[in-house]
Amino acid sequence: MSSPHLLILTILLPALGAAALWVLAPLGAAVARRVALGAALATLFLSAALVMRYPPEGAFNFAAFEAPWLETTSLNISFSVGLDGLSIWLFALSPLLLLTAVLVSWEAIKDRAALFFALLLLLETGCLGVFAARDVILFYVFFEFTLIPLFFLIGLWGSEDRRHAAMKFFIYTLAGSVLTFLGLLAIVIWHAQASPDGAMTFSIDQLTAAVKSGVSMPAQWQCWIFLALFAGFAIKVPLFPLHTWLPLAHVQAPTAGSVFLAGILLKIGGYGFLRFSIPLLPDATVIFLPWLLWLSVIGIIYGALVALAQTDIKRLIAYSSVSHLGFCMLGLFSLTALGVQGGALQLVNHGLSTGGLFALVGMLYERYHTREISDYGGLAKKLPVLAFFMLVFTFSAIGLPGLNGFAGEFILLTGVFQGAWLTETPFFPQYLLIAVLAVLGVVLGAWYMLWLVQRVFFGPLKEPAGREHHAVADLSIREIFALAPLVVFVVWIGLQPGFFIKRMATSLTSATASAVQTLDREATAATALPAATALPVAEEALTRAD
Amino acid sequence: MPSLLILIVGLPLLAAVVTAVFGSKLLGRHAHWPAILGIAGSCLCSLALIAQVSDKQSHSAGPSQAGYAETITLWNWADIGHAYDQAPKAIAPGADVLAPGADVLVTPGGMRRFTIDITLRADALTAMMLGMLTFVATLVTIYGAGYMHGDRGYWRFFAYVSLFVFSMTMLVSASNFLLLYVFWEAVGVCSYLLIGFWYEKPEAAAAGKKAFLVNRVGDFGFALALFLIWVTYGTLNFHDTANVAGVLGQTRLLGELGFVGGGVGFAICILLLVGACGKSAQFPLHVWLPDAMEGPTPVSALIHAATMVTAGVYMIARCMPLFLAAPDALLIVSVIGGITMLLAALIALTQYDLKRVLAYSTISQLGYMFLAMGVGTTAAATAGVFHLFTHAFFKALLFLGAGSVMHSMGHVIDMRRFGGLRRVMPITHFTFAIGCLALAGVFPFAGFWSKDAIVAAVHDKVHILEHQGMERHGNAHDAADPEQHAAGRAAADVASAVVTPSVTPVFGLTPSSRARVYQTLYGVAIFTALLTAFYTFRAFFMTFYGPLRTPHEAGPHPHESPRSMTWPLLGLAFGAATFGVLFEGGGWSPLFAKFVQGSPSFAYGFAEYKEFHPDVAMASTVVVLMGIALAAYMYLGHQREVDWIAGLLQFRWLSSLQNLEWVNRAEQHRWLVATKKLAGQLALGWLYGLARGLVVLLATVAIAPLMLVHNLSPYQLSSRKFFFDEIYNAVIVAPLRLLATLSYWVDRYLVDGLVDTCGRFPFGVGRFFRGLQIGLVQFYALAMALGALVLIAVLWLGAAG
Repeated sequence: MSSPHLLILTILLPALGAAALWVLAPLGAAVARRVALGAALATLFLSAALVMRYPPEGAFNFAAFEAPWLETTSLNISFSVGLDGLSIWLFALSPLLLLTAVLVSWEAIKDRAALFFALLLLLETGCLGVFAARDVILFYVFFEFTLIPLFFLIGLWGSEDRRHAAMKFFIYTLAGSVLTFLGLLAIVIWHAQASPDGAMTFSIDQLTAAVKSGVSMPAQWQCWIFLALFAGFAIKVPLFPLHTWLPLAHVQAPTAGSVFLAGILLKIGGYGFLRFSIPLLPDATVIFLPWLLWLSVIGIIYGALVALAQTDIKRLIAYSSVSHLGFCMLGLFSLTALGVQGGALQLVNHGLSTGGLFALVGMLYERYHTREISDYGGLAKKLPVLAFFMLVFTFSAIGLPGLNGFAGEFILLTGVFQGAWLTETPFFPQYLLIAVLAVLGVVLGAWYMLWLVQRVFFGPLKEPAGREHHAVADLSIREIFALAPLVVFVVWIGLQPGFFIKRMATSLTSATASAVQTLDREATAATALPAATALPVAEEALTRAD
Repeated sequence: MPSLLILIVGLPLLAAVVTAVFGSKLLGRHAHWPAILGIAGSCLCSLALIAQVSDKQSHSAGPSQAGYAETITLWNWADIGHAYDQAPKAIAPGADVLAPGADVLVTPGGMRRFTIDITLRADALTAMMLGMLTFVATLVTIYGAGYMHGDRGYWRFFAYVSLFVFSMTMLVSASNFLLLYVFWEAVGVCSYLLIGFWYEKPEAAAAGKKAFLVNRVGDFGFALALFLIWVTYGTLNFHDTANVAGVLGQTRLLGELGFVGGGVGFAICILLLVGACGKSAQFPLHVWLPDAMEGPTPVSALIHAATMVTAGVYMIARCMPLFLAAPDALLIVSVIGGITMLLAALIALTQYDLKRVLAYSTISQLGYMFLAMGVGTTAAATAGVFHLFTHAFFKALLFLGAGSVMHSMGHVIDMRRFGGLRRVMPITHFTFAIGCLALAGVFPFAGFWSKDAIVAAVHDKVHILEHQGMERHGNAHDAADPEQHAAGRAAADVASAVVTPSVTPVFGLTPSSRARVYQTLYGVAIFTALLTAFYTFRAFFMTFYGPLRTPHEAGPHPHESPRSMTWPLLGLAFGAATFGVLFEGGGWSPLFAKFVQGSPSFAYGFAEYKEFHPDVAMASTVVVLMGIALAAYMYLGHQREVDWIAGLLQFRWLSSLQNLEWVNRAEQHRWLVATKKLAGQLALGWLYGLARGLVVLLATVAIAPLMLVHNLSPYQLSSRKFFFDEIYNAVIVAPLRLLATLSYWVDRYLVDGLVDTCGRFPFGVGRFFRGLQIGLVQFYALAMALGALVLIAVLWLGAAG
């Protein structure tokens, strides 16, 4: 099978699985989950085949597939998919997490199981589509499409406060993404009227190529559009202070929903910045850089502090996500080779470690029906295998060397320092402070995670009231299979991050090239005019646009 | 040679994996075999490596060259192009990049790759560390087989220990800063797992977490140092590769090659020092090590005394060329070492937990090593590493001895609950005595040679600096005669056997003021030797002498430990007794110094061997004998003197004031009784009561500060460890917790409140428009319709445009 067909098949296979589930729904939960598992395994297999065919030195439009979709004389919206370094690992990550999600829902979901698994598979198709889309409209369709299944997953199978959580998640993200859509359209329209023949293109590649070839939007336009895109992507990431929907959604979501939300959906935010904001709006990116860096680092510290104050395991991990994604964004916005590549790798790492952690919390919840930290103690004695996996994912999350978290964190932080070091503007001391604060965030991260592990797993055995004498079994083979694939990658990326980075490098360099050029230009200008500061520039640009 | 290195690190890893996979089911009671075999094999290979390195070194042209090292690259960790912009940048005023050695630094295009390889290296320093580490580890593992016998987590113990040995061998053979950092943290994790080995004990779990976090604070500094090294040097390698010189290569002080001094160099060194302080439990990050004694005793011996905690010293030794470029950082290293050695020795004086006495003594001895590292002469650095070497043997011996005592006392370690064990445990007693003599530094035991070498090197440093000060003073007059000046300096250099790079100092201290600092440190080192001798023998006498006393946990017939435990004790005792004479011999046979100085890290400057200073040796010997005598006087005779001195140091006279009983007694006085009666008759009883209350209140208020003083008596300060835990809790932990709670409050009510308010606005609008209740799905449909409308508008616009 040719690679493009393989790609299309990978994207559509989960949806086909969902359709099959719809047909087979009357046969009951046992059949439903087996069908879902089959679909998940097949998707994983196909995506693995794709990754193996992906050239090690990277590609810009691997397995490209294009078909006309909505065509008129003056514009063509096409069903165009393909993979490159930006998307390859995120694309590969989602089937891996789908497998985990299906396996952790195996026994937890008894009510309307067929519908549940069908929604899960639809969500998977949405996620795969988002990362593969090479057309603005197609991207947006998939982007919005991911909301619906997750909305129902949270709203129907969530905990006590699920309706509120689903509602908030849905409206918050939708509100942001509508603005993003307007921003994307504005980019398309501006480029259409700027191009010599007035042709309107929705192709992401063509738009990026245009910007690279020097077609440059006025800075004030860029700033406004950047803010519009920012609304959707920053909520998705989520960047401080737009994160409050996340803890609520995580706490209320069923385990599989949390795994998917943390593992894949949050990555769409970072991916959006990499795919659209940075390459298409390089001037605005540079103008807003100080703000973006500050928001990221505030998210790191603030997320860690709030996590420290949590009494609910799931909410603690949710806030840790805010902190961890702050690292990713900090790396991306440093616009250095190390920062961007480390940040992109860290997006994947966070999916692995936090996906694993949410799965583990779900397993714990299935056994004891509580998420309160204070209800637990000394579980390592009773559940040694669960405790082992918890320790592995904790170490991965806190950036222990030898595991994946460290690789991403170290490389991106080196990049952030590099960025600070190369800054000639008066922003230098601030930037250095940002870098140091980020490293401090690593220490805080170790604190709240180890404290959690200590309280739940070490010390004298303490089980939730009323369940002390229940027979509680350690992880089953099924649960181990849900976690083991993640552990393989946690270790692999830790030992050889180069393997993964190499496949991303060229695309990432190309995506950030325009912004880096602008940054360099500005740095040169700033040395000539040392009085100019970066922050007023942004305000100035916005006022001029009024 | 490369194959040897791979075996050295590979065998323990293999043992760890085998034990982890087969340990619980298959191996059972025999779970110690893979670990013992793997580590012993690693030890044999290490000894072979030492022989090879020694051989190669003697065949190379001598230590005046770049030193001898060999590397082997296993695989590439990460490789990122266009990562480093070549132009270095100064961070602070006074920062200067000296003689950048452009031919070495610049690569075509000015951008450099970020390439990290998994590279191992072997040089003299690494070989020495490997030999010491695997030798002690072998004995400790054999001992562990006896000590942990019957434990529920028997196999887990050996899996962790093998993993630790693997990590530690990797740490000392790493050839770049990243790999060093990786295994720096990996040994931290092993330490975390092993401190919390008996995780059901809340203290053990808490101690593990504390150790990890305090180390993380240190690693925070270390990581920052790495980033700074990257941005200034553009490489993290120690060794030189095809087109880029490694960090050590760039700083090698041969000829006029460049190194970074000034503000950046200082910052790098101080941040490295922060990392070293965390791992080596130096002030102010020393608080975790005593708590780490919650782990099994063999672990305390191996990780928290002999090997892991010396990683900080190793790191500074490895980075010596960086530190030499920043003399002020060196001074701070010494000062930290001085503060730590004194502080820890003072705390050790009053501890009753035998293992904690030893833990504080470890901290104190590490302080000696830091002091040596900060002196910045070849002799001192060699002496520091030699102390690291000998300390590993005698401190592991002491810990294992304490473990043997604990084993037969039913896991009681409080020295007040047992005593007079010398007849019950003769081998433990004999070997422990050797350990104590070595730790106290009595001739001719190992500790004597190494400690004496450090003290002597500090002594020399004072002279060197005074000489420089005078020379500088003289130069001001001789400036007109540059030739004579240069000749004088060269003569001074040769005489002092020290490299003095001409870098801009950050503090601007004159040599004579630096000399005063080192002079003070010399005094501190001698005084600490006194304290060391005292607390060592206090513990020794309390445990082994006096009438036989055993706790009830020990059972009716306490006995000597099994042979698997006593043999390693004898092996270590041999090392503690003889390695000083064998390897140092006071300048007659400086085998150790000659060997270690062949390392690239030490191959700077001159290969002068230190001279033996009989005066310094005499001074420290006298002081040590005084300490032992004092301990014997106080703990072997009647305890009256002890009580009296303790009362004096505890400010016991103050506690008598705290007792308000005297008010009641005063009331019995007949004048007061009469007054009370009179007041009662005049119906002024309330006035009397008021007056009495006032007096009591005033007395209490007046006594409050005295009570505080009572709590700060020398004895209390020592026994309560100078309140470091309390201070850290009050200054860091509690405020952070508060900040965390505050942040959560802000998050829930402020940030989220704002969001909800915004969210309510469209709902209000919506309610205005719709009369019917609309479900969620419809809402989405509405949004989609809106989106479609926008799309159509665009299409229309596009068509029109």
